[in-house]
Amino acid sequence: MARGDAEFVEFARAASGRLVHAAFLMTGDHHRAEDAAQTALARTYASWSRIRENDAYGYARSVLVNHLVDGWRRPIREYPTEDVPDRHGDDVADEVATRRWLLAILGTLSPRERAIVVLRYYFDLPEAQVARELGVSVGTVKSTSSRALEKLRGVEAAAPEGTRR
Amino acid sequence: MNEADRLRAAMRVGERSGHGVLDLDAVLRQGRRLRRRRRLTGAGAAALALAVVVGVPVAVRSAGAPQRPAAPAAQPAAGATGHPSGPTAGPTATAAPTPVATDAAPPEPLGDVVRSGIRYGAEERVFYVVPVDVPHLPGVTIGLMAGRRTADGGLAPDFLVNDVVGDDRRDGFHEIGYDQSGPHPTRPLVPTFGYFVGPAERIVGTVDGRQVAARLVRWSEDPRVVIFWFDPAVLPPGVRLDGIAAHDARGRRL
Repeated sequence: MARGDAEFVEFARAASGRLVHAAFLMTGDHHRAEDAAQTALARTYASWSRIRENDAYGYARSVLVNHLVDGWRRPIREYPTEDVPDRHGDDVADEVATRRWLLAILGTLSPRERAIVVLRYYFDLPEAQVARELGVSVGTVKSTSSRALEKLRGVEAAAPEGTRR
Repeated sequence: MNEADRLRAAMRVGERSGHGVLDLDAVLRQGRRLRRRRRLTGAGAAALALAVVVGVPVAVRSAGAPQRPAAPAAQPAAGATGHPSGPTAGPTATAAPTPVATDAAPPEPLGDVVRSGIRYGAEERVFYVVPVDVPHLPGVTIGLMAGRRTADGGLAPDFLVNDVVGDDRRDGFHEIGYDQSGPHPTRPLVPTFGYFVGPAERIVGTVDGRQVAARLVRWSEDPRVVIFWFDPAVLPPGVRLDGIAAHDARGRRL
Protein backbone atom coordinates (compact mmCIF):
# COMPACT_ATOMS: atom_id res chain seq x y z
CA MET A 1 0.00 0.00 0.00
CA ALA A 2 1.34 3.44 -0.95
CA ARG A 3 2.30 5.77 1.87
CA GLY A 4 -0.54 8.15 1.06
CA ASP A 5 -3.02 5.28 1.12
CA ALA A 6 -1.73 4.05 4.48
CA GLU A 7 -2.08 7.56 5.88
CA PHE A 8 -5.59 7.79 4.54
CA VAL A 9 -6.61 4.43 6.00
CA GLU A 10 -5.30 5.51 9.39
CA PHE A 11 -7.22 8.77 9.09
CA ALA A 12 -10.40 6.97 7.97
CA ARG A 13 -10.23 4.53 10.89
CA ALA A 14 -9.92 7.40 13.31
CA ALA A 15 -12.63 9.55 11.73
CA SER A 16 -15.26 7.08 10.56
CA GLY A 17 -16.93 6.50 13.95
CA ARG A 18 -17.75 10.17 14.44
CA LEU A 19 -18.72 10.68 10.80
CA VAL A 20 -21.13 7.74 10.88
CA HIS A 21 -22.60 8.92 14.16
CA ALA A 22 -23.06 12.47 12.84
CA ALA A 23 -24.76 11.08 9.74
CA PHE A 24 -27.03 8.99 11.96
CA LEU A 25 -28.02 12.10 13.90
CA MET A 26 -28.94 13.75 10.62
CA THR A 27 -30.84 10.84 9.10
CA GLY A 28 -32.01 8.63 11.96
CA ASP A 29 -31.05 5.65 9.82
CA HIS A 30 -27.93 3.57 10.45
CA HIS A 31 -27.65 2.21 6.93
CA ARG A 32 -28.04 5.61 5.32
CA ALA A 33 -25.54 6.99 7.81
CA GLU A 34 -22.93 4.40 6.86
CA ASP A 35 -23.52 5.00 3.14
CA ALA A 36 -23.14 8.75 3.61
CA ALA A 37 -19.95 8.41 5.68
CA GLN A 38 -18.52 6.02 3.10
CA THR A 39 -19.29 8.49 0.31
CA ALA A 40 -17.72 11.36 2.26
CA LEU A 41 -14.58 9.34 2.93
CA ALA A 42 -14.33 8.22 -0.70
CA ARG A 43 -14.50 11.84 -1.83
CA THR A 44 -11.93 12.73 0.78
CA TYR A 45 -9.65 9.97 -0.51
CA ALA A 46 -10.14 11.18 -4.08
CA SER A 47 -8.80 14.59 -3.01
CA TRP A 48 -6.31 13.22 -0.49
CA SER A 49 -3.12 14.55 -2.13
CA ARG A 50 -4.56 18.06 -1.99
CA ILE A 51 -6.02 18.02 1.51
CA ARG A 52 -3.85 15.63 3.51
CA GLU A 53 -1.63 18.44 4.78
CA ASN A 54 -4.59 20.61 5.66
CA ASP A 55 -7.76 19.92 7.61
CA ALA A 56 -8.70 16.53 6.17
CA TYR A 57 -11.20 15.86 8.93
CA GLY A 58 -12.88 19.20 8.36
CA TYR A 59 -13.06 18.42 4.65
CA ALA A 60 -14.65 15.01 5.25
CA ARG A 61 -17.10 16.47 7.77
CA SER A 62 -18.11 19.24 5.43
CA VAL A 63 -18.57 16.87 2.47
CA LEU A 64 -20.67 14.57 4.64
CA VAL A 65 -22.96 17.26 5.98
CA ASN A 66 -23.48 18.96 2.64
CA HIS A 67 -24.04 15.62 0.95
CA LEU A 68 -26.79 14.86 3.45
CA VAL A 69 -28.33 18.30 3.26
CA ASP A 70 -28.43 18.07 -0.53
CA GLY A 71 -29.47 14.47 -0.81
CA TRP A 72 -31.56 13.66 2.20
CA ARG A 73 -35.10 14.72 1.50
CA ARG A 74 -37.07 12.24 3.54
CA PRO A 75 -38.11 13.03 7.11
CA ILE A 76 -36.03 11.58 9.88
CA ARG A 77 -37.17 8.12 10.89
CA GLU A 78 -38.21 6.78 14.22
CA TYR A 79 -35.48 5.29 16.27
CA PRO A 80 -34.68 1.80 14.94
CA THR A 81 -34.85 -0.26 18.11
CA GLU A 82 -33.26 -3.35 16.59
CA ASP A 83 -29.82 -1.75 16.69
CA VAL A 84 -29.14 -1.26 20.35
CA PRO A 85 -25.57 -0.82 21.62
CA ASP A 86 -24.06 -3.71 23.50
CA ARG A 87 -24.57 -2.57 27.07
CA HIS A 88 -26.50 -3.84 30.03
CA GLY A 89 -29.59 -3.06 32.07
CA ASP A 90 -30.37 0.57 32.76
CA ASP A 91 -27.63 1.77 30.40
CA VAL A 92 -29.48 0.38 27.42
CA ALA A 93 -32.84 1.71 28.54
CA ASP A 94 -31.28 5.08 29.20
CA GLU A 95 -29.58 5.12 25.86
CA VAL A 96 -32.73 4.13 24.00
CA ALA A 97 -34.73 6.81 25.79
CA THR A 98 -32.09 9.46 25.18
CA ARG A 99 -31.82 8.65 21.53
CA ARG A 100 -35.57 8.57 21.06
CA TRP A 101 -35.80 11.94 22.77
CA LEU A 102 -33.03 13.38 20.66
CA LEU A 103 -34.43 12.10 17.37
CA ALA A 104 -37.83 13.49 18.31
CA ILE A 105 -36.23 16.92 18.50
CA LEU A 106 -34.14 16.54 15.37
CA GLY A 107 -37.11 15.10 13.50
CA THR A 108 -38.90 18.43 13.73
CA LEU A 109 -36.07 20.20 11.91
CA SER A 110 -35.33 20.45 8.20
CA PRO A 111 -32.18 18.73 6.86
CA ARG A 112 -30.29 22.01 6.85
CA GLU A 113 -31.40 22.84 10.39
CA ARG A 114 -30.34 19.38 11.56
CA ALA A 115 -26.97 19.98 9.92
CA ILE A 116 -26.62 23.22 11.84
CA VAL A 117 -27.46 21.51 15.14
CA VAL A 118 -25.10 18.61 14.46
CA LEU A 119 -22.21 20.87 13.47
CA ARG A 120 -22.86 23.18 16.40
CA TYR A 121 -23.51 20.72 19.21
CA TYR A 122 -21.99 17.45 18.08
CA PHE A 123 -18.86 18.74 16.36
CA ASP A 124 -18.76 21.77 18.70
CA LEU A 125 -17.94 24.19 15.91
CA PRO A 126 -18.22 27.93 16.45
CA GLU A 127 -21.23 29.60 14.85
CA ALA A 128 -19.13 31.40 12.23
CA GLN A 129 -17.57 28.14 11.05
CA VAL A 130 -20.96 26.39 10.88
CA ALA A 131 -22.21 29.28 8.75
CA ARG A 132 -19.18 29.02 6.47
CA GLU A 133 -19.43 25.26 6.02
CA LEU A 134 -23.12 25.36 5.13
CA GLY A 135 -23.07 28.60 3.18
CA VAL A 136 -25.64 30.26 5.45
CA SER A 137 -25.50 33.40 7.54
CA VAL A 138 -24.36 33.44 11.16
CA GLY A 139 -27.84 34.76 11.99
CA THR A 140 -29.38 31.59 10.54
CA VAL A 141 -27.06 29.46 12.66
CA LYS A 142 -27.96 31.41 15.79
CA SER A 143 -31.70 31.31 15.20
CA THR A 144 -31.71 27.62 14.28
CA SER A 145 -29.66 26.70 17.33
CA SER A 146 -31.96 28.70 19.53
CA ARG A 147 -35.03 27.08 17.95
CA ALA A 148 -33.57 23.62 18.50
CA LEU A 149 -33.00 24.39 22.16
CA GLU A 150 -36.56 25.69 22.44
CA LYS A 151 -37.85 22.47 20.90
CA LEU A 152 -35.70 20.56 23.31
CA ARG A 153 -37.46 22.34 26.16
CA GLY A 154 -40.86 21.57 24.62
CA VAL A 155 -40.12 17.90 24.03
CA GLU A 156 -38.64 17.61 27.49
CA ALA A 157 -41.71 19.13 29.10
CA ALA A 158 -43.96 16.69 27.26
CA ALA A 159 -41.78 13.65 27.84
CA PRO A 160 -42.69 10.95 30.33
CA GLU A 161 -40.77 11.25 33.59
CA GLY A 162 -38.54 8.24 32.88
CA THR A 163 -37.17 9.64 29.62
CA ARG A 164 -36.20 13.10 30.84
CA ARG A 165 -32.51 13.72 30.79
CA MET B 1 -26.09 21.21 33.10
CA ASN B 2 -27.81 23.69 30.78
CA GLU B 3 -29.86 22.78 27.72
CA ALA B 4 -27.01 23.15 25.26
CA ASP B 5 -24.84 20.86 27.38
CA ARG B 6 -27.67 18.34 27.62
CA LEU B 7 -28.04 18.43 23.86
CA ARG B 8 -24.28 17.91 23.46
CA ALA B 9 -24.29 15.00 25.88
CA ALA B 10 -27.32 13.40 24.24
CA MET B 11 -25.67 13.62 20.85
CA ARG B 12 -22.71 11.62 22.05
CA VAL B 13 -24.82 8.76 23.34
CA GLY B 14 -24.34 5.66 21.24
CA GLU B 15 -21.17 6.88 19.54
CA ARG B 16 -19.05 3.96 18.37
CA SER B 17 -15.39 3.73 17.52
CA GLY B 18 -14.56 3.70 13.84
CA HIS B 19 -13.01 0.26 13.75
CA GLY B 20 -14.98 -2.08 11.55
CA VAL B 21 -17.84 0.37 11.07
CA LEU B 22 -17.07 0.92 7.39
CA ASP B 23 -15.58 -1.19 4.64
CA LEU B 24 -12.43 0.82 3.98
CA ASP B 25 -11.50 -1.27 0.95
CA ALA B 26 -14.76 -0.19 -0.61
CA VAL B 27 -13.99 3.43 0.33
CA LEU B 28 -10.63 3.19 -1.45
CA ARG B 29 -12.19 1.60 -4.52
CA GLN B 30 -14.92 4.24 -4.66
CA GLY B 31 -12.36 7.02 -4.16
CA ARG B 32 -10.11 5.69 -6.94
CA ARG B 33 -13.05 5.51 -9.34
CA LEU B 34 -13.94 9.08 -8.47
CA ARG B 35 -10.35 10.20 -9.01
CA ARG B 36 -10.27 8.53 -12.42
CA ARG B 37 -13.54 10.17 -13.41
CA ARG B 38 -12.22 13.54 -12.30
CA ARG B 39 -9.10 13.06 -14.38
CA LEU B 40 -11.17 12.08 -17.40
CA THR B 41 -13.54 14.96 -17.19
CA GLY B 42 -11.25 17.51 -15.64
CA ALA B 43 -14.07 18.32 -13.31
CA GLY B 44 -15.43 17.38 -9.94
CA ALA B 45 -17.38 14.18 -9.72
CA ALA B 46 -20.75 15.75 -9.33
CA ALA B 47 -20.06 17.90 -12.32
CA LEU B 48 -20.51 14.77 -14.37
CA ALA B 49 -24.18 15.53 -14.11
CA LEU B 50 -23.52 18.55 -16.26
CA ALA B 51 -23.36 18.38 -20.01
CA VAL B 52 -20.40 16.52 -21.43
CA VAL B 53 -17.84 18.84 -22.89
CA VAL B 54 -16.49 17.92 -26.27
CA GLY B 55 -14.68 19.99 -28.81
CA VAL B 56 -16.86 21.16 -31.61
CA PRO B 57 -16.15 24.33 -33.55
CA VAL B 58 -18.84 26.87 -33.08
CA ALA B 59 -19.41 30.11 -34.85
CA VAL B 60 -21.24 33.14 -33.67
CA ARG B 61 -23.87 34.25 -36.14
CA SER B 62 -23.83 37.95 -35.99
CA ALA B 63 -26.56 40.11 -37.44
CA GLY B 64 -27.68 37.44 -39.84
CA ALA B 65 -24.25 36.89 -41.38
CA PRO B 66 -22.90 33.46 -40.46
CA GLN B 67 -19.28 33.61 -39.45
CA ARG B 68 -16.85 31.02 -38.29
CA PRO B 69 -13.81 31.76 -36.20
CA ALA B 70 -10.54 30.66 -37.71
CA ALA B 71 -9.95 28.35 -34.82
CA PRO B 72 -9.71 24.62 -34.43
CA ALA B 73 -12.29 22.62 -32.60
CA ALA B 74 -12.46 22.58 -28.84
CA GLN B 75 -11.44 26.16 -28.45
CA PRO B 76 -12.62 27.43 -25.13
CA ALA B 77 -14.25 30.79 -25.24
CA ALA B 78 -11.68 33.44 -24.62
CA GLY B 79 -12.88 36.34 -26.63
CA ALA B 80 -10.91 39.11 -25.08
CA THR B 81 -7.57 37.41 -25.07
CA GLY B 82 -6.10 39.92 -27.39
CA HIS B 83 -9.28 40.30 -29.37
CA PRO B 84 -11.67 42.08 -27.09
CA SER B 85 -13.98 43.11 -29.85
CA GLY B 86 -14.20 39.75 -31.56
CA PRO B 87 -16.80 37.15 -30.79
CA THR B 88 -15.41 33.80 -29.87
CA ALA B 89 -16.85 30.40 -29.78
CA GLY B 90 -16.46 27.01 -28.29
CA PRO B 91 -17.56 24.89 -25.43
CA THR B 92 -16.73 25.61 -21.85
CA ALA B 93 -13.11 25.91 -20.96
CA THR B 94 -11.59 22.50 -20.67
CA ALA B 95 -8.24 23.39 -22.14
CA ALA B 96 -5.99 26.39 -22.00
CA PRO B 97 -7.78 29.30 -23.62
CA THR B 98 -6.51 30.28 -26.99
CA PRO B 99 -7.18 33.57 -28.71
CA VAL B 100 -9.65 33.16 -31.47
CA ALA B 101 -8.78 35.27 -34.47
CA THR B 102 -11.80 36.71 -36.17
CA ASP B 103 -12.76 39.92 -37.80
CA ALA B 104 -16.42 39.43 -37.14
CA ALA B 105 -18.39 42.11 -35.42
CA PRO B 106 -19.42 41.43 -31.82
CA PRO B 107 -22.64 39.44 -31.67
CA GLU B 108 -25.75 41.35 -30.86
CA PRO B 109 -27.50 40.34 -27.65
CA LEU B 110 -30.80 38.49 -27.94
CA GLY B 111 -33.08 40.01 -25.36
CA ASP B 112 -32.01 42.01 -22.34
CA VAL B 113 -28.44 42.38 -21.18
CA VAL B 114 -28.25 41.19 -17.56
CA ARG B 115 -26.29 43.41 -15.19
CA SER B 116 -24.38 41.56 -12.49
CA GLY B 117 -23.45 44.44 -10.21
CA ILE B 118 -19.82 43.26 -10.39
CA ARG B 119 -17.77 46.30 -11.28
CA TYR B 120 -14.27 46.77 -12.62
CA GLY B 121 -13.74 50.48 -12.28
CA ALA B 122 -16.01 52.12 -14.81
CA GLU B 123 -17.00 48.79 -16.36
CA GLU B 124 -19.57 46.25 -15.20
CA ARG B 125 -19.79 42.51 -15.79
CA VAL B 126 -22.86 41.64 -17.85
CA PHE B 127 -24.32 38.45 -19.31
CA TYR B 128 -26.36 38.12 -22.46
CA VAL B 129 -27.62 35.50 -24.83
CA VAL B 130 -26.21 35.48 -28.35
CA PRO B 131 -27.06 33.44 -31.46
CA VAL B 132 -24.64 30.64 -32.29
CA ASP B 133 -24.29 28.25 -35.16
CA VAL B 134 -22.96 24.81 -34.31
CA PRO B 135 -22.25 22.49 -37.21
CA HIS B 136 -24.48 19.40 -37.18
CA LEU B 137 -26.30 20.62 -34.09
CA PRO B 138 -29.56 22.23 -35.16
CA GLY B 139 -30.81 22.11 -31.57
CA VAL B 140 -28.17 24.57 -30.42
CA THR B 141 -28.90 28.11 -31.53
CA ILE B 142 -28.00 30.17 -28.49
CA GLY B 143 -24.98 30.64 -26.27
CA LEU B 144 -24.44 32.71 -23.18
CA MET B 145 -21.86 35.47 -23.29
CA ALA B 146 -20.08 36.99 -20.33
CA GLY B 147 -19.06 40.47 -21.34
CA ARG B 148 -18.51 43.92 -19.94
CA ARG B 149 -20.57 47.05 -20.27
CA THR B 150 -17.87 49.57 -20.99
CA ALA B 151 -17.71 53.15 -19.78
CA ASP B 152 -19.00 54.42 -23.13
CA GLY B 153 -22.03 52.10 -23.00
CA GLY B 154 -20.67 49.52 -25.43
CA LEU B 155 -20.39 45.77 -24.92
CA ALA B 156 -17.07 43.95 -24.76
CA PRO B 157 -17.50 40.17 -25.12
CA ASP B 158 -15.17 38.11 -22.95
CA PHE B 159 -16.28 34.51 -22.72
CA LEU B 160 -18.92 32.48 -24.50
CA VAL B 161 -20.40 29.16 -23.47
CA ASN B 162 -22.78 27.08 -25.49
CA ASP B 163 -23.97 23.51 -25.63
CA VAL B 164 -22.02 21.14 -27.80
CA VAL B 165 -24.53 18.31 -27.77
CA GLY B 166 -28.30 18.05 -27.84
CA ASP B 167 -30.75 20.85 -27.42
CA ASP B 168 -30.05 24.22 -25.85
CA ARG B 169 -33.54 24.37 -24.27
CA ARG B 170 -33.71 20.96 -22.65
CA ASP B 171 -34.55 21.08 -18.95
CA GLY B 172 -31.65 21.25 -16.56
CA PHE B 173 -28.16 22.70 -16.46
CA HIS B 174 -26.30 23.52 -19.63
CA GLU B 175 -22.63 24.24 -20.19
CA ILE B 176 -20.98 26.13 -17.38
CA GLY B 177 -18.32 28.70 -18.07
CA TYR B 178 -15.14 28.36 -16.04
CA ASP B 179 -12.57 31.00 -16.87
CA GLN B 180 -9.31 29.19 -16.27
CA SER B 181 -7.20 31.46 -18.42
CA GLY B 182 -5.45 33.01 -15.43
CA PRO B 183 -4.64 36.69 -15.00
CA HIS B 184 -5.00 38.58 -18.23
CA PRO B 185 -3.69 42.02 -19.17
CA THR B 186 -6.74 43.21 -21.08
CA ARG B 187 -9.72 41.87 -19.23
CA PRO B 188 -10.78 40.75 -15.76
CA LEU B 189 -11.42 37.08 -15.08
CA VAL B 190 -14.97 35.98 -15.72
CA PRO B 191 -17.03 34.68 -12.79
CA THR B 192 -18.31 31.13 -13.15
CA PHE B 193 -21.61 31.34 -15.01
CA GLY B 194 -24.15 29.43 -17.06
CA TYR B 195 -27.83 28.84 -17.53
CA PHE B 196 -30.47 26.43 -16.33
CA VAL B 197 -33.75 25.65 -18.07
CA GLY B 198 -36.65 25.17 -15.69
CA PRO B 199 -38.42 26.78 -12.73
CA ALA B 200 -35.27 27.37 -10.68
CA GLU B 201 -35.54 29.88 -7.88
CA ARG B 202 -32.26 28.97 -6.22
CA ILE B 203 -29.03 27.52 -7.55
CA VAL B 204 -26.35 26.33 -5.20
CA GLY B 205 -22.90 25.03 -6.05
CA THR B 206 -20.68 22.89 -3.86
CA VAL B 207 -16.95 23.32 -3.74
CA ASP B 208 -14.66 21.60 -1.27
CA GLY B 209 -17.68 20.74 0.83
CA ARG B 210 -18.79 24.36 0.99
CA GLN B 211 -22.01 25.61 -0.53
CA VAL B 212 -22.13 28.74 -2.61
CA ALA B 213 -25.29 30.38 -3.87
CA ALA B 214 -25.55 31.76 -7.38
CA ARG B 215 -27.27 34.96 -8.47
CA LEU B 216 -30.14 34.33 -10.88
CA VAL B 217 -31.94 36.33 -13.55
CA ARG B 218 -34.50 35.02 -16.05
CA TRP B 219 -33.87 35.64 -19.72
CA SER B 220 -36.25 38.23 -21.11
CA GLU B 221 -36.96 36.18 -24.25
CA ASP B 222 -37.71 32.86 -22.54
CA PRO B 223 -38.41 32.88 -18.80
CA ARG B 224 -37.61 29.17 -18.55
CA VAL B 225 -33.98 30.08 -19.18
CA VAL B 226 -32.41 31.10 -15.88
CA ILE B 227 -29.04 32.82 -16.24
CA PHE B 228 -26.84 32.40 -13.18
CA TRP B 229 -23.39 33.38 -11.99
CA PHE B 230 -21.32 33.07 -8.85
CA ASP B 231 -19.96 36.17 -7.21
CA PRO B 232 -16.15 35.99 -7.47
CA ALA B 233 -15.98 36.83 -3.77
CA VAL B 234 -17.59 33.49 -2.90
CA LEU B 235 -16.31 31.40 -5.82
CA PRO B 236 -13.06 32.54 -7.39
CA PRO B 237 -13.16 32.42 -11.21
CA GLY B 238 -11.90 29.18 -12.69
CA VAL B 239 -12.45 27.10 -9.55
CA ARG B 240 -14.38 24.01 -10.56
CA LEU B 241 -17.54 23.17 -8.69
CA ASP B 242 -17.83 19.70 -7.21
CA GLY B 243 -21.55 19.83 -7.78
CA ILE B 244 -24.44 22.11 -8.54
CA ALA B 245 -28.15 21.91 -7.78
CA ALA B 246 -31.23 23.93 -8.65
CA HIS B 247 -34.29 24.25 -6.42
CA ASP B 248 -37.77 25.48 -7.17
CA ALA B 249 -39.82 27.97 -5.17
CA ARG B 250 -40.84 25.27 -2.71
CA GLY B 251 -37.27 24.23 -2.14
CA ARG B 252 -37.56 21.04 -4.16
CA ARG B 253 -34.51 19.95 -6.06
CA LEU B 254 -35.02 20.07 -9.80
